[in-house]
Amino acid sequence: MNRYRRSIRSELACAALALLVLVIASPARAQDATYIGEAKCVVCHVEQKPNFAHTAHAKAMRANPANELQAKVCEACHGPGSRHVKNSEDKSLIIGFTRSWGTPIETQNSQCLACHKGGQRLFWSGSTHEMNRVACADCHNPMAKISDSSSLRKASISETCETCHAQQRTEFRRRSHMPVPEGKMSCADCHNPHGSVTRPLLKADSVNELCTACHAEKRGPFLWEHAPVRENCTNCHVPHGSNHDKLLVAARPFLCQQCHSPPVGHPGQFYRADQTAAAAIQGGTQSARIIGRSCVNCHSAVHGSNHPSGTRLQR
Amino acid sequence: MNSPTRLRSIISIILAGTALAQLAALPVLADSAVGVDTLPPGNALNTGVARATPDADPEASPPKRSPIGRLYDWTYRPREDARSFGGGWEYTVDVEAGGLYTSGDDEHILFRRYKDLDSGLYLRRFTFEADQADDGDFFSVIGGSPGYDDQYWQVSGGRHNVWKATAFLNETPAYFTSNFRSLWSGAGSDYLPLLNMTPGGLATAAATQAALRTELAGTGDSTLSLTRTKYGARFDFTLNDKWKAYASYSNEEREGARPYAMVFGGAGGGGNIEIPESIDYDTMDMLAGIQYVDPRNAFNLQLSASMFRNDIDTQTIENPLTITVNTITGIPATAFTTARFDQYPDNDFLKAKAEFARQLPKFWNGRLTAVVAMTRSEQDDGLIAPTTMALTGGLINGISTANVWNTTGALSDSSPETQIDTTLFSLGLAVHPGRSLSLKADARYYETDNSLEYRACNPLTGQWGRLTNDGSGGSFVNTPAYLAAACDLDAVRALGIVPSAGNVPIAAVPYEYEQMNYSLLADYRGFGNSNLSLRLEREEFDRAYRERASTEENRIKLGYTNRGFERATLLLSYEYTDRGGSGYVVEPHEEFMSATMGPGPTTGNVASWFHNIDTFRKLDMADRRQNILNARVNFLVTETLDVALSGQLRDVSYPDSDYGRRSADQTSVSLEANYQPSATFGVWGGYTWQTGDMSQRGLQANACAIGATYYFFSNGAINTTGVPPAGTSLVGSTPVTVANFHDACGMSGPLSPLYPTSRSWDNEQQDDYHMANIGLRYDVKRLALDVSYTYVLGRTEIDYRYNPAALGLTAVQVAMIGSGMPDQVMEVSTFDVGLEYRFSETVSTRLFARHEFGRIRDWHYDGVAQNPVPAVNAAYLDAGPDYRYDASLFGIFMRVQL
Repeated sequence: MNRYRRSIRSELACAALALLVLVIASPARAQDATYIGEAKCVVCHVEQKPNFAHTAHAKAMRANPANELQAKVCEACHGPGSRHVKNSEDKSLIIGFTRSWGTPIETQNSQCLACHKGGQRLFWSGSTHEMNRVACADCHNPMAKISDSSSLRKASISETCETCHAQQRTEFRRRSHMPVPEGKMSCADCHNPHGSVTRPLLKADSVNELCTACHAEKRGPFLWEHAPVRENCTNCHVPHGSNHDKLLVAARPFLCQQCHSPPVGHPGQFYRADQTAAAAIQGGTQSARIIGRSCVNCHSAVHGSNHPSGTRLQR
Repeated sequence: MNSPTRLRSIISIILAGTALAQLAALPVLADSAVGVDTLPPGNALNTGVARATPDADPEASPPKRSPIGRLYDWTYRPREDARSFGGGWEYTVDVEAGGLYTSGDDEHILFRRYKDLDSGLYLRRFTFEADQADDGDFFSVIGGSPGYDDQYWQVSGGRHNVWKATAFLNETPAYFTSNFRSLWSGAGSDYLPLLNMTPGGLATAAATQAALRTELAGTGDSTLSLTRTKYGARFDFTLNDKWKAYASYSNEEREGARPYAMVFGGAGGGGNIEIPESIDYDTMDMLAGIQYVDPRNAFNLQLSASMFRNDIDTQTIENPLTITVNTITGIPATAFTTARFDQYPDNDFLKAKAEFARQLPKFWNGRLTAVVAMTRSEQDDGLIAPTTMALTGGLINGISTANVWNTTGALSDSSPETQIDTTLFSLGLAVHPGRSLSLKADARYYETDNSLEYRACNPLTGQWGRLTNDGSGGSFVNTPAYLAAACDLDAVRALGIVPSAGNVPIAAVPYEYEQMNYSLLADYRGFGNSNLSLRLEREEFDRAYRERASTEENRIKLGYTNRGFERATLLLSYEYTDRGGSGYVVEPHEEFMSATMGPGPTTGNVASWFHNIDTFRKLDMADRRQNILNARVNFLVTETLDVALSGQLRDVSYPDSDYGRRSADQTSVSLEANYQPSATFGVWGGYTWQTGDMSQRGLQANACAIGATYYFFSNGAINTTGVPPAGTSLVGSTPVTVANFHDACGMSGPLSPLYPTSRSWDNEQQDDYHMANIGLRYDVKRLALDVSYTYVLGRTEIDYRYNPAALGLTAVQVAMIGSGMPDQVMEVSTFDVGLEYRFSETVSTRLFARHEFGRIRDWHYDGVAQNPVPAVNAAYLDAGPDYRYDASLFGIFMRVQL
C-alpha cells in the first residue's frame, strides 16, 4: 500500500513538474523577440499586404496610431517578429489567429484586448462567449475588408453570428420575425456579443428596456397595466421568430388562456374548430375569440391602456 | 417589496467596492459601439445572392480556418486601382444601377416582408470611399434603393483613431395585410368616417348584418402598412489613448396604419369589428457618453433620453354596427355612432448608467466590475372623458347618465402622472488563483418602482366602476348605499355592506418588482485545449400585487469545450433550473377590486368573487423545472470542407400547474456543410429541424349560487335539478351554502360546482420547423455565378381533449369540433440566381433573379374572405394572407467600380 502511495505521489510530482515546466517555458520562447517593422513582414506576406491595406486597422495604425504598440502595425497584433523571421516553421514564435497556427485562445484574445479592452467589452470576462472559449478571430477578420464595418468574418453582423447560431438563423425565417434576414436589423441591435450584465448578452438592463428602445409606444407607463407585459415582453413574444402572428409564443386564444381562466366570462372557455368563420358557414357558431385577431378583437390595447375605462384593455 | 436589509447590504457592498476601486483609478482606449441601430444599415437586396459579392482572387491561397474551426470566406481581389483627386486623397466608387421587375403574386405579404420591391429604375447600392493615407482622414457614402421604402444611407467622415461623424437614414416598411376591406376613409388620421355605411347601424342588427355583407362584397382589398423612417447622426471622439466620447441623436417616424379592432357593449361584447389603427409616431433618442480605459481600469458613463410622441392622441372612428347595449338603459343602440380610442400616450424615458472595471493584479490577478444604472419612465398624458356622448335620457343602475360621463370631471384624477423608476446595481469579482483556474462571483440587483395611483370612481355620481366602450357598456358596483360615500373608499368600507359583485376593478394596480441575481462561476482550463466550467446561479423575484409574492430559481450549468482534437471542436453544456417560491394566491389584486369594499356575499350567484382556479398557475410565476442540453461539433473534414452539427434539447415542465401551461419542450438539430475547394468555387448548405411541444389545461367554469345544490353525473354532466341525463348515474352532489361556498367553489375537483374537473380541457400545440438551404459560388474568367435555394416549412398542430357531455356540446357540434384546430402552415421556397459578367476591371453587368413561392394557412382566417360577417354584430375585415403565392423578381444592373 505504501509503495502504491509513493508511486502515486511520484507520478503527481512528475506531473506537477511537467506542468510547471510547460507553464514557465511556453511563453518564454517569444518573449525575447524584437520588433522588425511592417516592411519586413510584407516581404514574405505578399498576399496579405493588399487585402490588409483596405482595412480599418491598417488605415488607423499606419496614419494615426494611438500608441507605440499600434505603430508596429502587423506586430501590434502578431507580436514582435524577429524570431519568427529566423524560423517561420516554429509556430510558437509568432502569434497567429487561425486554427492551424495553434496560438492559445487566451493569448490571441489578450492581443486584441490590448487595444480593445473596456468600452463594450467591459464584461467580456466570464461572458457566455468567453466561457466557450470563443476567439475574437472567430467573428472578426481584420486582415481583409469583408464587411462595411467592424472587421467581421462575413459581410454582415447577422451572417457572422449565424456562422455558429444555426438555430437562431432558422427562427428568423419563421412566419413572423424581426427584420434580420431583410437586413434591417442585426443581432447586435439587441445583443452585445462581448458580454453584458444580463444572461442573454442583452444590450439593455432588462428585456423590456431593450424591446421598448424600438417599440417606444409600448413603454408607457399606462393607467391600466397588463401585468405580464409590464414585467417581461417574452412572456407572450419570442424574440426571434414564430409560426404565429406577431412573434407570439403560441396561437391565440390559447396563449391568453395560459394565464386567464376566471370563473366569470369567456376566458376559460373551451375554444375550438367549430368557431371559425368557415365553420359558421357550415352551421358552427362563430367566436370573436377564434377568428382573426382572437382575444385582441376586443382587448385591442393589450399592452396597456390610458383610457379611463380601459381596465379590460378595450380602448 | 420587503427586503430592505438585503438591499441595504447589497448597496453597501457595491458602494464600498466601487469606492475602493475608484481610489486606485488610473487612466484606456475603448470603442463606443452602443445604441440599437446597426451601422451601416442595409436592406433585403443587400443580403445573400442579391448582394453583389466581391471578385474572387484566383491567385489567392486556400481559405484558412478561424480558431473554432470554420473556414473563412474566400480572399477577394483587393482594389489596387484607387483614383486620386489631389492632396493625397484616393477614392473608390462602386455603383450598381439598373432596373427591377416583379411579377406574379408580388403583393403577397410574405414576398413583401420588410422590403420594397416595386418594378422600376433601381439604384441597388452605391459606395463612395475616400481616404487620405498620410493623415488618416476618410469620407464615405454608402446607400441603397434611394426613393424606395427600404432605402438606406450612411455618410461618414473623420480621421481614423481620432474622430468620426456619421449620419444615416434607414427606412423599413412593415406590411400587415394586403386583404383588408376597409369601410372607412381617413386611415392614418385621427378621424375615420364611414364611406357608405350608416354610423350607428340600421334599425336592427340583422339589417345591418345584411348591409355589411353587401358592402363588403363590393369593397376591394387594401393594404395596411406602415413605414419606419429613422435618421440621425453620431459623433465619436478619441480624446487620447485613454478617453473617448460619443454623442448621438436620432429620430424615428412611424406612419401608416395597422389592423386593430373595436368592441362595444359589455364584457362579452355587444359588437365587434376590425378597424384600421392610424399610426403617426415620433421618437427622439439622444445618447451621450464617455469611455475611459487604462491598463488597470475601464470606465463607461452613458446618459440617454428617449421621447415618444404620438401625433394621434385619440382616434375616433365611426361605427357601422347596430350594437347590443349593456348596463345603460334609455339610450338606443343606434346612438352609438362613434368609438374613441385613447392611443398610446406620449412618454419620456431617461437613463444614466455607469460601468467600472478594475484589474487587481495582486489579488489573484483579479478583476472587479461594478454597474450602477437608473432609469425613469414617465407619462402624464391628460386623460380623456369616458365618452364623448351626453347620454341624455340614460340610466345606469337608476342614476342619470346625462352629462356626467362626457367630461373629465367624471374621473377621480384628470391626469395619470405615472412613472416607473428602475435601479440596477451589479458587482462582479473575477480571480485567477492559478493559470488554469478562474473564479467569478456576481451579484445583481434590479428593481422597478411604480408610482401609479388611480381610482375608478365618478365623483359626479359616486359610482364605482367604469363606463365601458363609449358608454355602450359598464362594469359597476351596483350597491346604492355606497353612493353617499362619494368616492371615499374608506368610508365605503366602513359601511360594512356587501358589494354587488366581487370582480369590478376599482383602482389601477401599480405592478412592480425586485430582482436579485447571484452567480458563482468556476472555469478550469488545465486540460490543454479544453476547459470545464461550472456556473451556479440563483434568481430571486419579489413582485407586488401578483399571484406569488416571491419566486426563487436555482440554476446549475456545466460547460465543456475541447479544441484539442485535430479535426474537430466540441462545445457542450448542460443546464438545470428549478424555480419555486412563496404560496400562490389566486386573488392578488383584491385591494384593487370591489371584493374588498365590504364583507363577503350571503346569497345569490357568487362566481364573481373568485379570481381563478386554486391550482391554476400563471406561467411566469409557476414552479418550473428546466433541463437544457446544448451541443456543437465542428468537423474539419478536409482542408476545404467543414461540417458542423449542433443541437439543443430543452425540457421544461411546470410540476405544480394543474391548470395553465404545463410543459414546453423543444428540440433543435442543425447540420451545416461548407466546401471551398478553390479560390473561385464553393458550395455550402445546411438543414435545421426544430420541434416543440407545449401543453396547457383550462377549465370552462360552471356556476356557484348560494342555496343551490349541484348534481354530478357519470358522463360529466352537471345540473341543479338532480335529474340524471339519459344513460347516466349520479356520482355526487354539492350543496352551496354561505358557510362552504369559498371552499366548495374556489377549488377545482370532481364535485366542485364552479370548477368541476369534468369541464376541463387539454390543449397541446406542436410546432415543427424545417429549414434547408444550399448555395453555390463559381467564378470562371469574366463570369461570376451565385446561386442559393432556401426552403422553410413551419407547421403548428393544435390538438385538444374535452368532455362533450360536461360542456353541453351536441353531437353535431362534436362532429365539427373534431380533435384539433386545422394546422397552421407556412412554407416558402426561395431560389436566387446572380450572374455577373465583367466587361473590364471597372464595368460589369449583373443579372439577378428570384423566384419565390409558398403557402400560408392560419385557421384564424379560415372563411373570413367568404364570410366576413358570420354573426350579427361581428365583422372581420382582414381576410388574412392569401393561401398560395408565386412571385418573381428580376433585376438587371450595370456595375461600375472606379
